[in-house]
Amino acid sequence: MVEAVLRLGRGMALCALAVLPAGGAFADTLSDVLERGMLRCAVIEASPGFSSIDANGRRYGFDIDNCRTVAAAVLGDADAIEYVPINPNTAFTTLQSGGVDVFPGGATWTFLRDTSMGLDYTGTYLYAGQGFVVRRASGVSSVTDLEGATICVAQGTTNEQNLADFFRARRMKYSIVTFADVERGLNAYLADRCDAFTTEVFSLAGRIVALRNPGEHRILGDVISKEPFSGLVRQGDPRWRDIVFWAFNSRVAAEEFGLTMSTVEEMRATTEDAEIRRFLGVEGGFGRQLGLREDWAYQIVAQVGNYGEVFARHFEPLGLERGLNALWRDGGLMIAMPYR
Amino acid sequence: MGRRRSGFPGELVRKNSAFWLQCLLGLALVALVVLVFRTTQSNLELLGVQSGFDFLWKKAGFSISQHLIPYTEDSPIWVALAVAILNTLLLAVFCIFLASLLGLFVGIGRLSSNWLVSRLSLAYLEVFRNIPVLLQIFFWYYVALRALPSLESSIFISDYLVLNNRGLYFPFIEFANGFSINPPVMGRFAYEGGFYLMPEFLALWIGLSLYNGSYISEIVRSGFQSVARGQWEAGTALGLKPATVLRRVAFPQALRAVLPPLTTVYMNMFKATSLAAAIAYPEIVSVFVGTVNNLAGRPVEVMAVSLVFYAGVSFLVAWLMGRWNKRVTLRGQ
Repeated sequence: MVEAVLRLGRGMALCALAVLPAGGAFADTLSDVLERGMLRCAVIEASPGFSSIDANGRRYGFDIDNCRTVAAAVLGDADAIEYVPINPNTAFTTLQSGGVDVFPGGATWTFLRDTSMGLDYTGTYLYAGQGFVVRRASGVSSVTDLEGATICVAQGTTNEQNLADFFRARRMKYSIVTFADVERGLNAYLADRCDAFTTEVFSLAGRIVALRNPGEHRILGDVISKEPFSGLVRQGDPRWRDIVFWAFNSRVAAEEFGLTMSTVEEMRATTEDAEIRRFLGVEGGFGRQLGLREDWAYQIVAQVGNYGEVFARHFEPLGLERGLNALWRDGGLMIAMPYR
Repeated sequence: MGRRRSGFPGELVRKNSAFWLQCLLGLALVALVVLVFRTTQSNLELLGVQSGFDFLWKKAGFSISQHLIPYTEDSPIWVALAVAILNTLLLAVFCIFLASLLGLFVGIGRLSSNWLVSRLSLAYLEVFRNIPVLLQIFFWYYVALRALPSLESSIFISDYLVLNNRGLYFPFIEFANGFSINPPVMGRFAYEGGFYLMPEFLALWIGLSLYNGSYISEIVRSGFQSVARGQWEAGTALGLKPATVLRRVAFPQALRAVLPPLTTVYMNMFKATSLAAAIAYPEIVSVFVGTVNNLAGRPVEVMAVSLVFYAGVSFLVAWLMGRWNKRVTLRGQ
């Protein structure tokens, strides 16, 4: 009897924990994705430049292309994606519990997140920083003018903590209103609930450009933090982490090699460069090393494009420059690990 | 049940086995909880997620706009939790007070012989009871409060009370040179007063009170209607004024019928304060399940603390109301 109860209890406990994979040690995301034929990718919705939906209901944006990059590498089809909408509050828990395979949507790489949450970062794909927007009419010209101001921010972001650190270090008083996501925080700022709104500059610029009257607002020149964005996967699955890392690396490599969406096919047929041949899967068997097809990197470049193309597609219309995100040889921080 | 004596031996046996069955069920429940706990723990370990409640003593590092006790970014997380709990309770107490007041007046208004008063009360009931409370909160926050003027054109309710889209500002009360009350002063970005209610608080307070007030009004009305007609008539026959009959004769009797359903409404209202997370009022769901969860990365522990808090306070409310109910119950019934 007792044993039956215990067995029942154990069964129910397992049911209750069905959301968690049986154990990180033997989780194999790649097999799951291949079996499913779809990549489950977490996206934060309604973030101009990063993640939007066009008139035909198709998703586009920098984050979306990140999802497509991984899908192209793993499944050979950049569109074989099941998008899972999340907000910054639920992102990490959703990933931890196996609700998505990858979260490539603007999570800052920090020590605590990396070491305590059971998640692994997969390499920085965008260098951003935290900026502020204010109303021009307020006459505020730098962050230090915001003494005593009310500032809106999204919850569960590094922005919330950076803000506290910055103001505390300068002994400046401020009042904070913390919203569940960037969209709501910005709306509150627009409704004059706050004197300033803060988030990382790429997302901020995208949202301000999209406003009806962008001229009334001003993005301050000060950037108060480093926000290196990286993809995130569950910890304990090194092969999957490698795949996501090398998928992102491939876009930067493609730009270094001078491969673009339109030239990659021709280059594959004609190039004599040994590294490019290994990269595109003509020789070397690199795809098999990752557990993927040989043309994995070729599919990324052909379907999504190189890093510069992706950046230009989503951020140039918003008036954003490459800056730190230029290739290393152009004075930026983007550098591809070698294919050898 | 306790008073009745069990006379038959068979009943005794049945009671005995019922006792053992309950023991067994209780044990099974405990075993289940322990198993769930341990499985969760080992699963989290396998996933590489840290667990434990040690994070409560780490430095919070984030700011909370409304805190009833001293709090800075340097305070430990458990102080942030205390701040969030107090904010939750503050909102709940304000809502329970206003909703009860509204419910009482509207409930009595519904019984009024004055056509206008009873119709207005009915209209209030139908409007506020039939719209989901979250929508009402959004309405007060996004529509009504946003219609408030900006800093420059603030409304002075009196010389000492300032209302604008940043909140409701109360005067400074100073004890420095004797006792003095000073009006809020305008700073560069906001009024600075002794105390202020943030718009998020106001929207929740109004929204939750109006919604739950409509339910309470129905409870109050049914309570008064449960008082026998003869009681009203007897009071009137004694020469008491209608208001006195209401207060001294009908109300104490109505209270008996009102308290049990009122407990449910109070508990629902308390739990509904968690809707605050939708509009950035720093209560426990927003601060703890939102910010702290992300900061500490301990979803299981964070949820456990929050659940224990809600369950605990709900039990407390039920217990207090139960005691009150016992006190007003007719003896001998």
